[in-house]
Order: sequence, then structure tokens, then C-alpha cells
Amino acid sequence: MADSEDTQTSITSTNTITTPTPATDKDKSNLCILLNATGNVPIIKKRTWTVDPNKTVSWIQKFIHKYLKLDASEQIFLYVNQTFAPAPDQIIKNLYDCHGTNGKLVLYYCKNQAWG
Amino acid sequence: MAHDREVLRMIWEGQIGICFQADRDEIVGIKPEPFYLMISRLSYLPLVTDKVRKYFTRYIAAEHQDGAVWFDFNGTPLRLHYPIGVLYDLLHPEDDCTPWCLTIHFSKFPEDTLVKLNSKELLESHYMSCLKEADVLKHRGLVISAMQKKDHNQLWLGLINDKFDQFWAVNRRLMEPYGDQESFKNLPVRFYTDDDFTYTQKLISPLSESGQKKNLADLMAELSTPVRKAVGCRTHGIDLHEETQLQWLSEHFSYPDNFLHLSIDYKAI
Repeated sequence: MADSEDTQTSITSTNTITTPTPATDKDKSNLCILLNATGNVPIIKKRTWTVDPNKTVSWIQKFIHKYLKLDASEQIFLYVNQTFAPAPDQIIKNLYDCHGTNGKLVLYYCKNQAWG
Repeated sequence: MAHDREVLRMIWEGQIGICFQADRDEIVGIKPEPFYLMISRLSYLPLVTDKVRKYFTRYIAAEHQDGAVWFDFNGTPLRLHYPIGVLYDLLHPEDDCTPWCLTIHFSKFPEDTLVKLNSKELLESHYMSCLKEADVLKHRGLVISAMQKKDHNQLWLGLINDKFDQFWAVNRRLMEPYGDQESFKNLPVRFYTDDDFTYTQKLISPLSESGQKKNLADLMAELSTPVRKAVGCRTHGIDLHEETQLQWLSEHFSYPDNFLHLSIDYKAI
């Protein structure tokens, strides 16, 4: 997903079918997240992404919002493992270290509150 | 099991003296006197500052009076969804005994720096999410998911109405190991360094690999790296003794959000 005009984007997709993009020193520290849709929300086909560990939950929410081309009035809610909604300023590294499984942090996204 | 009730009470009753002053750019007419208030360490700024807001509203321009309220200390905007005690221990100079001086603002909410969790409803939602995350770490989420909505409500109401017994009637279930377990699976803990709001979270087990109960010295050894050594740990304004057992610490010194918020002092090696 490296758009030419978006070279600052540090979220890249790893398509499991084709060969992975070459790893740079920066990529080595990136964390793997899995984005699952839940409820009445469009589905992002590529589910596996790598993210800079210091990115926030809010950054991921904005990324999904932009990727799905949602209306400004629509919100994206994020949940970790279908259990809790992390604070928008929480960093991905903390979530990964505490709640990651099998080398991935599993996040669920939806347009409405799902698990309270 | 959090059985040291005296300790729980002392933590619950911890308070901070705060001196609120208005934003000079927002005042119209007479400059208001500062507003002094004793505030619970365990609560959140938007929950305890209604009186402060009402007091200062009269002195500021009409167009700002309904604006989103926020606070700063020495130019640092304060995160509204962090417990007040955490903010204080991070920012207030340790040896300074004077009231903590904060400025209240009614305009120019710093959207890029502060998350807008500024209403009771939004804070309650955030609080419940903290409890859920803490329970996932301690009990795989089994205790909180077995609770009813009325139990969740009782925790929140106990916190905002300063009702220790009401709060702990439910919270004690979250502060016990699950079933016949000896301890929590992992401890909900947030580590802070210097005056940085961005905390670290790691999986911390209360037991060593051999099944022994770990203490603070063990934790500080885990946090130390080849370049810096963890030498001190503070929470609720208290320097913790390194022999304190971690399971006990989690049960007694957690904030109402069920997390330990620990400030770690490091020394370069």
C-alpha cells in the first residue's frame, strides 16, 4: 500500500500470497496486526498489516476510516480480541506485548459499539 | 484477596490540594481569585471540577462559556482520562508542598494532544474498558464477564460518589484470584518514566517460573536493561519498598481502574 504521494505512511500491507516486501531496519521493528471487520461495516480485504509500534489506536482508527472512505459523521470503534476498547492514545506496542497472540495483535473494527 | 482494609481505605482517601486559575486570555473584566479544592487522587478531572467550571464561567467571555473544558500545568495539557493522582505524581515536583496550580481553559481544546474524554458518559465508557482490560490480564476476562450490568454500575457510582463500601463490595471480586488459583495470571500495570504521559505495558506475572511470589525487586530487575537500572518505584505519592510482593501490590495499590500506575526511576549504568 505504498502510495507514491504517501511516502510517509508507515503502515504497509503484507499480502500472504506474494513475496513479502523487502525488510528495512525500520520494518524489522514493525508489529503485525490483524484487522477483522465486525457488524455492519465494509470489509478490508487485506487483513494483515505491519505497523510502527509507537502508532496509536487513534492512528489506526483514522487509517481505517480513510481506507473505507467513510463519512465524517461515521465513527470507527476498535476492540482488542473482542474483549475491550483501548483508549485512543494507547500505543500499539503496549497492546501487542500484553494481548498479542502468535506474533499478531488481533483487532476488531466496527461502526457501532460492539462489546461495550 | 485484598484483605488489608486499612490500606485500601488509606489509598481511597488520598487527596491532593489544587489551586485553579483562569486563562488570562479568556477573562473579561475583573480577574477572578484562584479557586482552591481538595480532590481525590483516584478520580478524573472532568468528574470533580463542575464547581470549578461554574465558578470561573462568570469571568470569561460569553462565547467561550460552553466550550470544551481542559486544564494545563505549566503549559502541559492534562490528560482528562488519567487518574488525577497519576497526573500529579508525574508532573508535580516531589518536594513541593504547595497546592498544585492548574489553569482552566474554556476554548482552544488541543484536539491533537488531548483525547476528548471529557464527559461523564465518555469517562464511564473509558473506565469500563480499563476494567475489562485489567480483568483480561488477571482472569482472562472471566470475572468481569460474569458480572451483571448493575455490578458495573455499582463500581462506577461508588467511584464518582466516593462510596468506599459500595465500590469494594464489587471490586473485591476483581481483586481475588480466579477459582482456586494462587494469584492473578498477569498483573495490570502501567509504567511511567520521568514526566512522560506515554506509559509502557508489559506482561508481568506475579509468580516467578518456579512458582515463587515475586516482589518489587524482581520487577525492577525485569525492567532494567544493560544501559539503565530501575532503582526506585513510586505510586500514590509513596516510595515503594522493594520487598513488597507484586500480587499484594496489585490487590491493594491499584487505582479504581484496576491498574497499578507505577513511576519508575532509572539510573544510567
